[in-house]
Amino acid sequence: MITVKNLTVKIDNKVILDDISMNIKKGEFVGILGPNGAGKTTLIKTILGLIKPTSGLVYIDNMELDDYMKKKGFYIGYLPQHAIVNWSMPVRVVDAVLIEKVRPFGLFRRYSKEELESVEYWLDMFGVKDKMYSYIRELSGGQQQRVSLARCMIHNPEILILDEPNTAIDVVYNTKMYELLKGLASEKMITIIMVSHDIGAVTKYVDEIMCLNVKLHCHSKTDDVNISTVFKEVYGEDMEIVVHGDGCKNCAINKAEK
Amino acid sequence: MIWDILFRALVVGVCISILLSLISYFVVVRKMTFAGVGIAHSAFGGIALNFLLGFAGYLLPITFSVLASLLIAFMYKKGKMSEDSAIDVIFVFSMAFGVFVLSLSDGYSTNMLGILFGNILSVTRYDMVLSISVFVVGFLFILYYFSHFQIMSYNEELAYISGIKVDRLYYLFWVVLSVVIVLSIKLIGIILVNAFLVLPTLVGLNLSKGYKGIVAFGVLSSILSIAAGISVAYYMDTPAGATIVLAFVVIWLFSIAYNKIRI
Repeated sequence: MITVKNLTVKIDNKVILDDISMNIKKGEFVGILGPNGAGKTTLIKTILGLIKPTSGLVYIDNMELDDYMKKKGFYIGYLPQHAIVNWSMPVRVVDAVLIEKVRPFGLFRRYSKEELESVEYWLDMFGVKDKMYSYIRELSGGQQQRVSLARCMIHNPEILILDEPNTAIDVVYNTKMYELLKGLASEKMITIIMVSHDIGAVTKYVDEIMCLNVKLHCHSKTDDVNISTVFKEVYGEDMEIVVHGDGCKNCAINKAEK
Repeated sequence: MIWDILFRALVVGVCISILLSLISYFVVVRKMTFAGVGIAHSAFGGIALNFLLGFAGYLLPITFSVLASLLIAFMYKKGKMSEDSAIDVIFVFSMAFGVFVLSLSDGYSTNMLGILFGNILSVTRYDMVLSISVFVVGFLFILYYFSHFQIMSYNEELAYISGIKVDRLYYLFWVVLSVVIVLSIKLIGIILVNAFLVLPTLVGLNLSKGYKGIVAFGVLSSILSIAAGISVAYYMDTPAGATIVLAFVVIWLFSIAYNKIRI
């Protein structure tokens, strides 16, 4: 589904990504882990065509990114980092969910019954249906993030790219969100790439883990990864994995914090 | 004769106020109000050059203003300096250049006052026809691309992924803004035109929570301030530009009062 070949990104002569190659299959749920400045956001922005690579190529469905975008357009749902969205815009939740459905003379647009039903469905899935006609600036950070997830899904995307989706989301809803995403990947065959610092959740819910720190240190099935070794290499810290009976079978705790 | 002047001023005022209030919505929600100040002031250099060279018309001021605004936009896009810093550099350069050039021409003080605060008597039939033409093109442009600008204001990356030519529209927005500002200078003046880039949306925000209401109240309050300002200026024999802006401030104060009562 997504193939990245020898991708290198340099910004102001600084190497941000170094010779990254990977292959993600349709319906796979992939978690990207790495320390701050590892190039995680740069990698997903390059896959989305927001950053031009210095060298290397991105293929989606065996098409170059531009061709895929021209052919399929809305088939990628993208959730940018919470902080870079203008949440002070005077729009309601329904407007925000449908904001990518750009139309000429959009000031006068009226939403169709199908559009409103679809918005209602996805807001319900993410637990914020009651906020459909609220203004986005009046929502909490976690609710805004759930609205963004509903926006990502409104076009029935083939690919979901999520940059720290759990930002501002409370612990209880976090678990529901990951389960929902896992369900979307396995049942609707949506390919999901998720950047997160939530090591416990990533190791529990995703199919494959990618550990990134400028270079790709590992890309393999969650169960096959020797997390302690890889994290030591990527984060540069001695890590220990503590396995609990329920809830988080693979959560990692930094020794220093113990 | 006086009715001709008032009619021309009213037509020019209504045309530019509607356009500026539409632009104002995006200027305020994108927190680009300083950009308006910068672009308005950057037109000063071009108009001053017009006086020195003895040219009439808008070709030189619009060219100067558009180039300055594109330079601001380019510097911002490249991220080499913050938008505010980029605006500040162009703004002070253009003002200094304008004062320097005007000082070399005859009628320095009169010209300077007219440019800074507007002069209703200088609004000609040609200005009226030009304003109507720019209004038609600018109005259709902003309304056609309204939801494009809306998503660009929400998050530019989403706009890009939605297939919008973000950079092209971004630069076009600045071009339209600079053309409208140059056209409004005769009536309102460089200093006071900024009111029309901020007040319409501030009034709208006091009267409505949604973007459609904010835009509608912004347009209505702009038209009202133009009509009230020109009428008061005529009966009290005061400068039209300043009176229009004062009328707008009064409308804004009423909108604040209404907002407080409603809460």
